[in-house]
This record gives sequence, structure tokens and C-alpha cells, in this order.
Amino acid sequence: MNVEITRVTRRFGRTMAVRGITLTAGPGVLGLLGPNGAGKTTLLRMMATVVPPSSGRMRLLDRDPGLYRPRQEIRRRLGYLPQSLGYYPGFTIGEFVEYFALLKEVPPARMRTAVSAAIERVELGDQAKARLRTLSGGMLRRVGIAQAIVNEPDLLLLDEPTAGLDPEQRVAFRALLRDLGQHATVVVSTHLVEDVGAACARVALMDRGTIVYTGTPAELTARGVGHSSGDAPLERGYSAVLAAARS
Amino acid sequence: MTTTAATAATAATAVTAAGRARVACDSGRVTARLLWLELRHNAMLWILPAAVLLFWFTTYRTAMALPPLWNVRAATFQSGAVVDFITPVVGAAAVIGTRQARRRTTDLVSITSLPRSARLLVTWAATSCWALAGYLICLAATYGETAREASWGGPLWWPAVVAATSVPAFAALGLAAGTLVPSRFTAPVAAVVAFFVLALSTELIVGSQSYWQVLPLVTGPWDTGKDPGVATFYPYVPDLSIAQVLFGGGLTVAALAAIGLSGGRSWRRPRAVAAAAATCGVLMAGTAVALAGTGRLDAHGMIEIPALHDAASDRPLRFTPVCSGTAIPVCLNPAYAGYLPATVAALAPVVREIAGLPFAPTKISQVAAVYAQGPGNSVEISQEALPSPSGSRLLGMLLPDQLLGPPLSVAQFEANVRANTGPSVLAYVVGAGPHASAAQVAVWTALMNAAGRPPGAQPSGSEQVGNAQGTEQPAAALDPAVLAATRRFAALPVSARRAWLVRNLAALRAGHITLGQLP
Repeated sequence: MNVEITRVTRRFGRTMAVRGITLTAGPGVLGLLGPNGAGKTTLLRMMATVVPPSSGRMRLLDRDPGLYRPRQEIRRRLGYLPQSLGYYPGFTIGEFVEYFALLKEVPPARMRTAVSAAIERVELGDQAKARLRTLSGGMLRRVGIAQAIVNEPDLLLLDEPTAGLDPEQRVAFRALLRDLGQHATVVVSTHLVEDVGAACARVALMDRGTIVYTGTPAELTARGVGHSSGDAPLERGYSAVLAAARS
Repeated sequence: MTTTAATAATAATAVTAAGRARVACDSGRVTARLLWLELRHNAMLWILPAAVLLFWFTTYRTAMALPPLWNVRAATFQSGAVVDFITPVVGAAAVIGTRQARRRTTDLVSITSLPRSARLLVTWAATSCWALAGYLICLAATYGETAREASWGGPLWWPAVVAATSVPAFAALGLAAGTLVPSRFTAPVAAVVAFFVLALSTELIVGSQSYWQVLPLVTGPWDTGKDPGVATFYPYVPDLSIAQVLFGGGLTVAALAAIGLSGGRSWRRPRAVAAAAATCGVLMAGTAVALAGTGRLDAHGMIEIPALHDAASDRPLRFTPVCSGTAIPVCLNPAYAGYLPATVAALAPVVREIAGLPFAPTKISQVAAVYAQGPGNSVEISQEALPSPSGSRLLGMLLPDQLLGPPLSVAQFEANVRANTGPSVLAYVVGAGPHASAAQVAVWTALMNAAGRPPGAQPSGSEQVGNAQGTEQPAAALDPAVLAATRRFAALPVSARRAWLVRNLAALRAGHITLGQLP
């Protein structure tokens, strides 16, 4: 398993953002659904080794991220797209992606190919020399995805990756997700249930810092039968599970 | 079997060595590429023209207005370059230090496998590279022009090294400030604070044993500043420079280690290296400060630090003086060759009066200044005794520029030599000193008048030419009898005056001539 999380909690002062979550994930795309403040981003940030858990046990790519050297090894094989993508406006797309490839210690021999491939995969190959300050929000999001996948990660963590993408780009992105999920563990945090339905093999639903449901999108859809809240079957399943968890 | 095992072990060792070499090579290529990216997007690149312009405006023009002496130009360069570059460097480094927080890339870069310290080192290196590139341009311009103008000597590299060392040191401090306090106000505040701390802390320097002289803009005894009297007769003493370089190195290491210590606070990580480096840096800087505190003004006008001092620096430099072709040659250190025409012109009337007289000096030679620390920041300067074989009559002199004070124009320089060195030369011939007889004073005054000096001056009797100014007394202060004898002697035709002096100078010097015996 690339992700093994056991009773992990994370506190920020008095706030308990994540409460004793247990989760495992192997290769494939795992969708992380949940309302605002459910703890999805905190869970992803812990998995991305941005913040350590306050308690509990976490193993990523069969390594303990609490230790320095294993953490460095995890980071070499990790891709992460944060919810709010920061960037350096003066960098070109190529430079930005290369910068992160260098920081992720992609071997120099593969550097040029890896950068080009990552940019091509998000369909920005013809604009590799454009400065980031000139890009639209959707294009910046794709640049963020490119930097996340430039090292061909075994664990890819994407926080709201489709925010700002137009429908055509979202369709292309879902295809990319499915492709990446064939070899890597991809965890996608999103509000958009249709993304989960289209691209994820498994789904985990979080609410108030805990995971209230894990299963396949089809199973989640089935939970919504007879539930009135929601426009699509998956949305109805999502609402039904949340309502059950809160009752 | 044993041979096979040995061969396998050798092969394994070779593979391991090759692997290490490949990793090192890869690491070097990654670092080089990262440095290139940082260089392309470094704030210092944009601030650099302003820094160079500032240097040209405040330092280069000042330096070029000073005499083309390596000591003066190098000291001016060191102080000026430090002040001109520190503020932009600190500001730029702080801007880059706050970059992650401002651009909200902290999460993105903090989860990369390249250690944070390595990433920040590259950032610091890029900032330092640009700053040093600008600095080197300024150095090349200043030293190049000085080399073109200077008549003797070579570049003094220690001042350049001190200033160069301070650039990465302050870049590290700026980066540390930006990284530790990532606010939009950090960069301007850090730049302003750096400037004022640097400039105002020199106010705390008292005497030659001040700890504060470790600051890189200090080039020597603080109140003598850019002194043309040093490092021409004796070598440049690098003791203080060495302490300053050590201080700069210590600051750099400590600041970079502080950045390393601040990272990954919430993870358990080996911070021993950063802590050890910080300790080393602080110890280095502390040692430098302590060493600076043991400094003392040496006789040749520089700060000597006993623990760092090389006795070879006390040996005089060998040089061939430049001499005039006048009746009494006037010889200067070749570094001051440009001063020779003005010096000869200023002394010509005096030389004309005394040339050929029995006790006239055979040569007037410039000598080194001798420095002594006075109370507080005061420095007393006298002239070094001229080593002369017995029987020879060599007269030493200090040029006005060897003394403390603002640089002089040619006219001011000539007037100063005429006013101070001329009387001393005549006093030497007449034997007039503090206890001169009335006849000696009268003859000295008459010769001064004949040499074009306003009547009424009186010999100071001091060999310290620098102190001669202000010791002259107005004619009204002279005894009427002396004044009358002076006028009488000065009114003699030149040939009569010289003939009398040839006959009676020995007796006059011995104090055996009375006023009444003067023609």
C-alpha cells in the first residue's frame, strides 16, 4: 500500500482538523469528497509531508515520513498540487516546471524530457515559454499539475485540481488522472462529485475531520437511491451519506 | 577462490566509486541549473544597476578626486563599496527570502526532496553572485583607473577582499531576515536597518582598540581614515583586514545556519549540522571581534593585531625615490611622484638661498610619518628620523598630504610646503631651534623674507613639519632689536649675504654671533 494511515489526528491549536482517520490506498485514483472544513486539505497536507500528524501512524510509499531520510525519499516520489497554487510570475512555464523538477531531484539526464513531457501532458507545450504572469487561472492550474507530475510520482496528491478548468480541460484532466492512476496512487480532493464519478476507482467521504464513508463511486451512488437531495445520482449518494453521518 | 573474491570486491568498489562520482556529477549539474534559474530571476539583478550607479555617484567620483595613491584609493573604495552595496544586497536578499511567503509557494517547495538548506544556499549564492559581479565591475573601474594614474606601487587587495567578503555576509543576513520574518516590510526595513547600523556603529569607535573596528567599512584607525601616509614606506598591514574577513565569514556561516535551524520546526530532523555551523559562525565572528579589540595603532599608521601580526610588515618597502635636479635635490617616495613639481616649486626660493652654504642639506628627502595613538580618537603624527651616515646632511620632510586633513589642491599644497617645510629647511641650516639665539632668529627671518615669505615669522624649532603651522609669530612679537637686525641682514645684496654666511655660519650655528655682529 502506498498510503497507510492509522488513527491519525491533526490539531491546530484548539481546533481538531483531522480526528483519528484510518485510510489505506494502493495504486489507482482515490477521490476525497467532503464539505468545506471537513479536513480534506489538512489530510492531504499531512500526506504531502507539509505538516506532521499530531498523533497516529502514517506510512507513505512504505516509509515513515517522520524520519528525515525516509521523508526525503518519499518527497522524491511525491507530487502535490495545493489548493491555492503559489507561483513566481516572472518564471516561464518551462522554468517553473523545471524548477520543481530540480527541487525534486529528477536526474539531470531525464530532466529535459521529464519537463517537456509534463508540460505536454497538461497541453501547454506550445506555451512553454510564456511567463506565468500572463496565464489565465485555468492555465495556471494546469501548470500546477505539470509541476506535480514532472517527477512521475508514485504518490500524487491533488487538492481541487479542476478548479478553474473549463469543461473541455476537465474532461482531458480526468483522462490524465485515469492514466496516472494506472501506476501511481492518486488522491484527489474535490467538491465536484462528477470528477470523482468519472475518474476515481475509490472514494472517501470526509466530514468534520473523520472519514464517514469509503467505497467505489458506484456504491456511493447506490447509497443515494431514494434520497431527494442532489441533481445527479452520485450527488444524492453523497448527500445521503453525509446526512446519515450527521444524524 | 580467494582471487575471485578479491576481484569481485575490487569490482564492487569500482562500481561504488563510479556510482558516487555519478551522484556527485548529477548533484553538480542540478545545482548549476538551479543556480542559473535563480540568477535569471534574482531581485539583485534588478537592483544592481542602482547599486553601481550609487557607487559611481558617491564613491568612484570621490576616489577619483583624491590623489592617485593606492592607499587612499583602496581605503576609499573599501568604505564606499561596503556602504553602497550593503543596503541593496540586504534588501534584495530579504526580498528573495520573503518570496515563498509572498508568492504562497511555501507548501510547494517545502515538500521537495532537495534539502531546504541546499535550496536557500543556491538562492543566497545567486544573490551574492550578482552583487559580487557588480562589485567587481566597480573594483575594476576604480583599481583600473588608479593603476593608470598611480606613479608607483600596486593594488592593495586586502581592502578589496574585505569589501568582497562583506557582500555575501550581508546577503546571508538579508536572506535570513526575509526567511525568518517573511513580511512585505522585511526587505525595506532590513535594508534601512543595515545601513544605519553600519554607519552609526562607527560612532562607537574610540581609539585603536575598539571592537567596533571589525566592521568592514573601517579601513584603519578610524579618525585617520583614508590616510595617504600609510602603506607607502611600509607594507600594508593586513591584520585588521584579516579580522574583518574572519568576521564576514563568521556572519555568513551564522546567518545561513540560522536559516537552516529555523526550517522544519515541526519535524524531527537532524539539526545538529545547522547548530554546529551556527556555533562555528558565531565563534568565528566573536573571535574576529575579540581580535579587533586587541588592535593598536602601529608606528606606521595602521592597526596592528598582535595575534595576527607578521613582523615582515614592519620592514620598510624598498623603492627608488624620485628626485629633482635642483641644486639641493628634493626626493620623494615614488608613490608621490606627482607631488614633486609642486614641492620643488614651493621649496625653490629657499633652496636658492641656501644652496652652496656650508651647512645646507645635501638632499631633502620625504620620510615616513610616525603615528602615535593619543587620547580618544586623536592621533599624533611626527616624522620618522632619517637614517643618514655620519657627516651627511640629509634633511627629512613630510608632505602635507601625509598629515591628517582634507586633500589639498595644488596651490594649497604649495602654500603649505612653503609655509611649513621651507622654514624648517632654513632652521636646519641656521641651526635655529627652540633655544635659538637672537642672531639666529634674525638670520632665519631674513632668509625667510628673502625667500619670499612675509616678514616676521619665527622658527618653531620643531622638526615636526606638521606642527609648524600656527607656530609662526607676527612681526610685532619680535624684539625690536631682532627686527632691526633682520631688516638689516635682509637688505644686504644676495652675494654679500651669502659671503657672510659662508664665513660665519658655523659660528652662528654655535651661538657665537650676536645681533650686533650681523652686517
